[in-house]
Amino acid sequence: MTRMTRRALIASAALGALLATAACNVDQGNTTASPAGATGGASSAAPKALKVGWSTIYLAPSWMQQTLQMLEEDVAKLKAEGKVASYETFNANGDTSQQIAQIQAMITQKYDVILVDAGSSTALNPVMEKAVAAGIVVVNFDSLVTSEKVIRVGTDQVEWGRLTAQWLADKLGGKGEIIAMNGPAGVSVSEERWKGAEEIFKKYPDIKIAANVHSEYNLAPAAQAFASAYSAHPTITGVFSQGGALSAAALQTLVKQDKKLVPITGENYNGFLKLWADKRKEGFSSIATAQPNYLAVIALRAAVAKSAGTAVPSTITVPLPEITDENLDQFVKPDQPDDSYPIQPIPQSEIDKLLGA
Amino acid sequence: MRNRLDLLGLCALLAMVLVVYQRLDPTLLHPSTITILSAQFLPLILAAAGQTIVMLTGGIDLSLGAVLSLGMAVFVIYPPDAPGGVVAAMALALAVTVLAGAANGVLVAYAGLPPIIVTLAASFLWGGVTLIVLPQPGGHVPEGLVRAYNLGWHGLALPAIAIGVALGLWKLVKTTHFGLALYAAGGNEHGAYANGIDTRRVKIYAYGLAGLFTGLAGIGLAIQTGSGDPTIGVPYTLNSIAVAVLGGISFFGGVGQMRGTLLGALLLGLLTNLLLFTGISTFYQMILQGVVLIVAVAVKTLATRKAVA
Repeated sequence: MTRMTRRALIASAALGALLATAACNVDQGNTTASPAGATGGASSAAPKALKVGWSTIYLAPSWMQQTLQMLEEDVAKLKAEGKVASYETFNANGDTSQQIAQIQAMITQKYDVILVDAGSSTALNPVMEKAVAAGIVVVNFDSLVTSEKVIRVGTDQVEWGRLTAQWLADKLGGKGEIIAMNGPAGVSVSEERWKGAEEIFKKYPDIKIAANVHSEYNLAPAAQAFASAYSAHPTITGVFSQGGALSAAALQTLVKQDKKLVPITGENYNGFLKLWADKRKEGFSSIATAQPNYLAVIALRAAVAKSAGTAVPSTITVPLPEITDENLDQFVKPDQPDDSYPIQPIPQSEIDKLLGA
Repeated sequence: MRNRLDLLGLCALLAMVLVVYQRLDPTLLHPSTITILSAQFLPLILAAAGQTIVMLTGGIDLSLGAVLSLGMAVFVIYPPDAPGGVVAAMALALAVTVLAGAANGVLVAYAGLPPIIVTLAASFLWGGVTLIVLPQPGGHVPEGLVRAYNLGWHGLALPAIAIGVALGLWKLVKTTHFGLALYAAGGNEHGAYANGIDTRRVKIYAYGLAGLFTGLAGIGLAIQTGSGDPTIGVPYTLNSIAVAVLGGISFFGGVGQMRGTLLGALLLGLLTNLLLFTGISTFYQMILQGVVLIVAVAVKTLATRKAVA
């Protein structure tokens, strides 16, 4: 065999393999693209069943997995009612450019509804506005964009910072030394929560911020970050933390090093709630709020309502739940993994109220 | 001869992807679709061009994503009513990214540090500087420019033209003394040095030129998104390496064509879009992307090895 033919063989084998993958993709694409249930389910009088897609910046974190599950459950309900024809999830895996491509692809494929959990608060604006101009109902939830042309469903992140920082300031009696545990620098959610917290701390000149730590919203990097900040400032009397994994990391460190338990603000991260419930009898105290997973369900319901011609407010601010020493037992789930986000489901009447306002 | 075969193989792959794409999106060849796709691919193509130049010297640029974000940040914070407007903003952004690139080059050439270490350190450095320049997403890009870029300007696909101009620029650079010296120094540094090529200066120029392409990619991304985002560039580091490798650029320097990188970028971009159209589960999409990349590189390596043996 000559070198040329051998090379040609290798090349054709590669082509064949790729063609096969591509072909099988196409087949799969066709089957998912023609929703079998939709034609049977929708009566001629009802509005057309919707083609719904969700583009999210990450799918791997447990919060996202829980959100996906909640969303899929609600999609199943809406499918049974003939309101949704098909549903698809797109994961940008942290790449905002990829997310732009996803939304672009959904416009090309004539989706009726695009749900977006945004990777950047500004970068998706042009493509989302383009989708709106193409007559698509675009609803953004959780991590919000700045565009006012799409429907946005979220909580007030600045208020999150204010709420928890105020509790801490009260708990400390207006004086003390704290470590601030923030999310990654340059990320809107993190900047906004800290903005709210700073507003409060400015009112208390006797509260000294010994260290302002940035880390991923993940247990391992947060634990490292807290441990080094704490070793430099072992005399702190409190911790302002703006994420559950960050709070858990701080509390775990204090417990492991057998140090005095100071008040730490938190989030509905089950690992933190469990530890809190366990240490409550030793006098540990906290407040936690939540970015509820049902934001996705409210977003979907808002899209369905808007598609049916109902007026929906363009900004839907969902109240922040409050978890305290008193109602902690209603939230904490001792039998569930640390990496879950227990939350009480939102009643339909509350969703209706938020959409009708 | 071998180079030509590689490019032909890439062209064949690309043609096949295009045929499948056309089946799923019949508007593929409409001007508006070409505008959309080129707007989407421009940042990746330019970033990969920058990475290619560094790889031709035998180096690798892990700071590319950070420098891209930095260029983007400088571009969007320049006040729109300041003298020179958007042109001055571009010039300033490019000056910054060229200097950032050249700084890598100086450390690699004169301190003799491995490129992977220098550029890794630079990625933290410029990542931090970017957050000082632009602490959170925002900034200003003229709206008319955003619209013209994304939707076309008098029917012209501006991003496609920009890609053409950038590659034309590279073609010019390649014919100069520097262009020849770059391949020579990348292929055999000692040989090139013995033949009177100032390999240190070549490296500094090469990293600086890579900074220029990276800066252009950042500006493109800013215009595409109508804003700046200090953390958006990170995935471009690895994507640009993947594209360059797919395009046949050797890790060991001196081997590869910019045309190959362009084809690689188009291939990876179109393939990603294709997977979006098929509606298969999102985790399988990632697996498929990985498999395609490995298969493409493995086949190429195999073919090359046989040719050498």
